Amino acid sequence: MFTHIRTRLAILYAGLFALALGLVAVALYIVIAATSERQVRDELVASSTVFDRLLELRTRELGNAAGLLSRDFGFRAAVATGDPGTAVSALDNLKARLGLRTAFIVGMDGHVAGLSDPRQRADAAALWTALDAGRTSGIAGLGGVPSHVVAAPIMAPNLVGWVVFANDLGPDQMHRLEQLSAIPINARVLVRRQGHGWTSGERSPDDAAIASFVDARIGDGTPARLDEESGTAIALARPLQGMNDGESAALLIRYPLAEALAPYLPLQIAMGMTGLIGLILVIFGSWRLSLSLTRPISLLDHAAQRMEEGETVEVKVETRDEIGRLAQSFNRMAGGIAEREKRITQLAFNDSLTGLPNRAFFRQHLDLELRQAERRGSRGLALLCVDLDNFKAVNDTLGHPVGDELLRAVATRLSASVGDAMVARLGGDEFIIILSRRDAHEAAGQVAGRLIAALAEPFEIAGQELSAGASIGIAMAPGDGADADTLLKHADLALYQAKGEGGGTYRFFEDEMNARAQSRHRLEADLRRAVAGGEFELYFQPLFDLETNRIGSFEALIRWNHPTRGLVAPDEFIPLAEETGLIVPIGSWVIQEACRHAVKWPDDVRVAVNVSSVQFRKPGLANILMQALAASGLDPKRLEVEITESIFLESSEALIAVLHSLRNMGIRIALDDFGTGYSSLSYLQSFPFDKIKIDRSFIQQMLSRSGSTAIVHAITDLARALGMETTAEGVENPEQLAELRLHGCSSVQGYLFSRPVKAAGVFAALDASNPRRDVA
Amino acid sequence: MRALALILPALALAAAPAAAGDLVVQVRAAGGAPVPNAVVTLYPGGRPSPLGPAGSYQIAQRDLQFSPFVLVVPIGADVSFPNFDNVRHHVYSFSPARRFELRLYAREQTRSVHFDRPGIVPLGCNIHDNMIAFIDVVDTAFAARTDGAGTARFTAIPGSQVLVRIWHPYLRAPGNQLELRVAVPDHGTAAQAVPVNLRPPPRPGSAY
Repeated sequence: MFTHIRTRLAILYAGLFALALGLVAVALYIVIAATSERQVRDELVASSTVFDRLLELRTRELGNAAGLLSRDFGFRAAVATGDPGTAVSALDNLKARLGLRTAFIVGMDGHVAGLSDPRQRADAAALWTALDAGRTSGIAGLGGVPSHVVAAPIMAPNLVGWVVFANDLGPDQMHRLEQLSAIPINARVLVRRQGHGWTSGERSPDDAAIASFVDARIGDGTPARLDEESGTAIALARPLQGMNDGESAALLIRYPLAEALAPYLPLQIAMGMTGLIGLILVIFGSWRLSLSLTRPISLLDHAAQRMEEGETVEVKVETRDEIGRLAQSFNRMAGGIAEREKRITQLAFNDSLTGLPNRAFFRQHLDLELRQAERRGSRGLALLCVDLDNFKAVNDTLGHPVGDELLRAVATRLSASVGDAMVARLGGDEFIIILSRRDAHEAAGQVAGRLIAALAEPFEIAGQELSAGASIGIAMAPGDGADADTLLKHADLALYQAKGEGGGTYRFFEDEMNARAQSRHRLEADLRRAVAGGEFELYFQPLFDLETNRIGSFEALIRWNHPTRGLVAPDEFIPLAEETGLIVPIGSWVIQEACRHAVKWPDDVRVAVNVSSVQFRKPGLANILMQALAASGLDPKRLEVEITESIFLESSEALIAVLHSLRNMGIRIALDDFGTGYSSLSYLQSFPFDKIKIDRSFIQQMLSRSGSTAIVHAITDLARALGMETTAEGVENPEQLAELRLHGCSSVQGYLFSRPVKAAGVFAALDASNPRRDVA
Repeated sequence: MRALALILPALALAAAPAAAGDLVVQVRAAGGAPVPNAVVTLYPGGRPSPLGPAGSYQIAQRDLQFSPFVLVVPIGADVSFPNFDNVRHHVYSFSPARRFELRLYAREQTRSVHFDRPGIVPLGCNIHDNMIAFIDVVDTAFAARTDGAGTARFTAIPGSQVLVRIWHPYLRAPGNQLELRVAVPDHGTAAQAVPVNLRPPPRPGSAY
């Protein structure tokens, strides 16, 4: 019903207080009314008693006076001798002395002397019977007015008449009685002649009610309620001694209840006022109290709403009570939520390793920047895609902890070098920088140059000096792309370009890069088709055994007969196949095809296949080899697997285990392109290769650079010491051959002997180079 | 004795007419109690009877009382008021029949008053309110005061119809008296009972 607690509380308290106050007021009123009514009743009874007593006193007083007069000799003489003038003058004399209104003489013969009003005379004459019966006092109507009548017989010496004193009991006289009372009562005396109603000396609208009240209550004598026109009164009626037979008299004392309660009016007003003030205070107080109670709740409510809308809020703790503790708990809860939100945001938007913004954050930021740039129009925006050149090697050789350390150091150095531009880590060793400037193009070049210089500086990590080196691709907005995806792709292409050019440099994106990328995509699609369509063909290049002077083995080399582009060199598609993973089916095909051909060759001629590191990383290489051998029936001893040093960049015990399992199958293992890696010699330690193939770069420089000869010599010596054969690659002239013979190289391979030939050409090659075979 | 004195002249008168009867009037109160001190007067034929010579009468004051309480005297009688008390008395009467005042006379002093008009003469003492007596001055020979039995006797009453008046100081009737006509036989005695209502006598010392 009420949406606010404070309203409910205020109404509840005010209602309860008003109820209690009302009950008190009612109780007080009842008590007051009962008390005052009882007081009035008591007072009425007391007043009536006083009236009786007064009447008695007056009776005695008048009786004494009348008695004295009646015994006065002169008066008696006057009355007895029929001298009314004298008698009446004596009466007047006494009236003046006693302060009487009325005094008269009733003779034995009924004659009345001393009254002039005919009505009074008639009423006075009517007293004779009562006087004759010996009554000397009572109430009787005289001229319509209730009067107190006191008589004394005149004995002269026999009874000749009565002296009668009458005191009218009209309003004036009764007023004197009323004044004697403690409370302002209203008294009146009523008389009733037989057959008539009650009459009194005064007239009022309540006469009828009074008359019926007197009739009803006169015998009772206890106060009762009397309903008058002006309100309810407490009244008491009691009989008075009537003078005449057939004439009743009554005293009626009234007291209006309103007047009885009047003295309590100030009390009631005071009660009402204090109640009103109290009620106001209670309303005010409960309002304040409930405010103080509900205000913190409202604050909490409001704070909770704000929190719901995602704001960070804190409620002011004002009290130490439950609500205060609730506020504290709320603050702790809000703080906890904010903390967790922050952490979640951090996790979501920050790279946990470097603390830089992560890819998601970068994307959002880039979108924002692009929108702003779009709004502002001319403002330029550059996207710098940074990739470390040597990170993979560092990670492989020094382990992940060092690599991570290097990434952190790179992140720090990047952040320090780009100023207010944003640096994010996209993953691995790839960082990205958003440069938002008016002259973004020039600035991008400068920044990129500075970054490359900064990252070229060696890092000192874990006590080692490491060189990271970096390549950077740059894409400009909006020229190089309006949306984040395009920009990022183009920056990546530029980076790819820079990498392709040997690294340690930066490149702006150009549209041709896109074209190249597209041709690469096309190539990839073609490659997939080629695997299924049998567009590959194996060529075989013979390896000439210098000790036996014959061809000891062929290296299987893949060629792609592209339907439109013609023959495609392995250099053009093998890296792509390795990137896309297509190398696995292609490699598998090579192995099977090589085995299938080799099994037709003479038993002392081996076949060598190149196996990529990608193939080694995928499980099942051993199975592929085994199936190929089983399918062809080729002796495992006639199969040689050539691996490059790059395989050891991700060297692991698993790799060594795979090599050993191949060896156990009887397959020979040769290390290809030896000498091009960073720690070529250390690889020799990790596995007992069957053969080392010396990289063609050493052979080609052998005659021009003396160091190369020494290296080749050292390699052959080393291999011999380790029990490994050696093959020199890229032998193109007899001088090289002569030198290699001199150094004791096991076999040679190169154009000097033969270019790679088709499978069909293998036998011709064998025939040409192995005349002794024919002899044998 | 005084009653006899009244009767004597009546007997003398009765000698002339041949026929004369006796009358006994019995006055009783409402309860049947005899009423003494009532004065019964007869008017044979409704007329007063001629009186004989007035005798001497007295009302003594003794023990602060008049004695007798009621005295019947014929017109022209003199009544003496001898005082036998040690105090003085002031005897008075405001009666129309005879108004007099005997101011303060002491013991052994006698005052005398002449009554020459018929009527009731209440006597009082201005000093002692309780002293009261009545003198009935009658104009007929047939007058008697009832005795202790409430009886008054009359003999030799002439005529057959007699007006009988009964007076008593407390009789509840106008003038404190009743009148009735009684038939008297020629011979023998007639008895007439008269019931009366009496007021209570004023109490001594009261306001009455």
